Amino acid sequence: MRGTGKYLPIVPVLAAYALLLLYGVATPGKWQLVAQLAFYCALGQAFNLFMGMTGYVDFGYVAFLGVGTYGMAVTISSLSDGGLGLGIILIGFLVAAVFSTLLAMAVGAVALRLRGAYFAIATIGVNEGFRYLIEGARIWNGADGIIFSRHLKTALGRKMAMSVSTFWADIFVFGVAVLAAVLTLYYLRNKVGYALLALREDEDAAKVMGIDVTRFKIIAFITSAALAGLLGASGWALKLTYVYPPDVFEIHYTVEAIIIVLLGGAGTLMGPIAGGLIYGVSKYFLAITLPGFQLLIFAPIIIAIIVIFPEGLVGILKGKVHGTRLEKYVI
Amino acid sequence: MPLLKCEHVSKRFGGMVAVDDVSFEIMTGELMAIVGPNGAGKTTMFNLINGVFLPDEGHIWFAGVDVTRFPSYKRAHLGMGRTFQIPRPFASATVQENIAIGAMFGAAGGELNVEEAMEVADQYIDLIGLKAHRNKPAGGLTPIEKKLVEIARALAMKPRLLLMDEAMAGMNPKDIDQMVTFIRHIRDVEGIAVVALVEHIMRAVAGLAERVLVMHQGAKLVDEPTREALNDPRVIEVYLGRQAEEFNAKS
Repeated sequence: MRGTGKYLPIVPVLAAYALLLLYGVATPGKWQLVAQLAFYCALGQAFNLFMGMTGYVDFGYVAFLGVGTYGMAVTISSLSDGGLGLGIILIGFLVAAVFSTLLAMAVGAVALRLRGAYFAIATIGVNEGFRYLIEGARIWNGADGIIFSRHLKTALGRKMAMSVSTFWADIFVFGVAVLAAVLTLYYLRNKVGYALLALREDEDAAKVMGIDVTRFKIIAFITSAALAGLLGASGWALKLTYVYPPDVFEIHYTVEAIIIVLLGGAGTLMGPIAGGLIYGVSKYFLAITLPGFQLLIFAPIIIAIIVIFPEGLVGILKGKVHGTRLEKYVI
Repeated sequence: MPLLKCEHVSKRFGGMVAVDDVSFEIMTGELMAIVGPNGAGKTTMFNLINGVFLPDEGHIWFAGVDVTRFPSYKRAHLGMGRTFQIPRPFASATVQENIAIGAMFGAAGGELNVEEAMEVADQYIDLIGLKAHRNKPAGGLTPIEKKLVEIARALAMKPRLLLMDEAMAGMNPKDIDQMVTFIRHIRDVEGIAVVALVEHIMRAVAGLAERVLVMHQGAKLVDEPTREALNDPRVIEVYLGRQAEEFNAKS
């Protein structure tokens, strides 16, 4: 816990991502699976930064991915003639992060005043509301969405545009996953993490201990939202080169994020990674072996796991390595 | 200058007046008990001092600052520590982490990083004698151990005023005596003021407090040195009723 050893748990995380990446590059035909797994890990980690650390469930979370996707799409479709080269992608990521941060500030200003279940209820409508706002007010092309594959080719050239959407977009997803892991570990090991732990356990007692709970909730909320924006910009916008409102404001992705976090262990560093890998792999094989039935089969499995292991897989692992030499690597 | 000054403080919930025009002061280093039967408004008074509730009327000064409208975390930064009637340690955090959280965010919190706060926590773990439980989650401790962790957590905040809500409820006489000795020891070592809420354990009040404020139906009944307060006929009436008082007078 002390001094130099306190950031050691990043080692197994980086190792896991490196292995996953190597497997994807070296095995023909498995890149899409690997990319999907990386997406789930990143989604779980980004979501965990708020939901896992504070105990607040944000049902509108996918809206942050949605506006991030739009951030990248709007940037590329409007700046493609600017001769920016690859700089356009960097600007796209910045715009994505700014969009999702602004939305987080707007949602947080209202919803973070509410506690527990009231917060969850208040956020349920956010993604639907945002979707209908875009469609109804015809913002960003309304229901027609933005198709920007042509703009991407103009900006980067045909070959580079192709390689961005088939390969680099997924590498950026890995990048978001690593960034989320670094931020999670940094928070866990510093005052922010202890403040969040305290307010998750008992918000009134935390206040009495001198913790400005609202401030720390906002920090976690915005961090989590900004990461979601980057994830949407890479895993959705750059990969697909189009964006339609019904695709990106789909509550289904929020539910997947909740499952991943609970499966792996809320509030831990490694939980969302374990959860993301297990969820992604099982979904993949169930889709092959029992196409069409995967959700029907998955639901009871998830219920069983959550009832039997309420602390998630990493919660159990932490108990197992307690007092051993491995302890300092697991959080 | 008093450390804490409450001036004509009132709090209503709907039509019910929970705290009715209460004024009192406490000086640095004082040991005071707020006493009263169930429903007298003690805990509401505590929540007003602490900032969990804001008063409808009146003013509260702490350490020379008008804190009447301050949220509780700002009062904590000025040096107000508190324990709860039913202990509320952060259950999944270890004993050491619980106490370190107090050190990190309390009055001394600004200058301490996580590692320094953990070291401060270790000192208080020694003080409460729970070294064997240092790395255990606080949720698994016995009620008395939880109470001790809560006191240590509040002390690690480096308060100038420690508010203890029913610190001795549910304890046997031996534990009460130990706790009284422990609280007096803390006051002497840390040089802080302690306000304890006590519902009916007069053994604790007599041993602990130098001054007693008795509340009855939301209002201040008496505010006197302990011996006088406990023998005050009005106090006896509140606790035992008029019949008993008359019985005492006859015999």
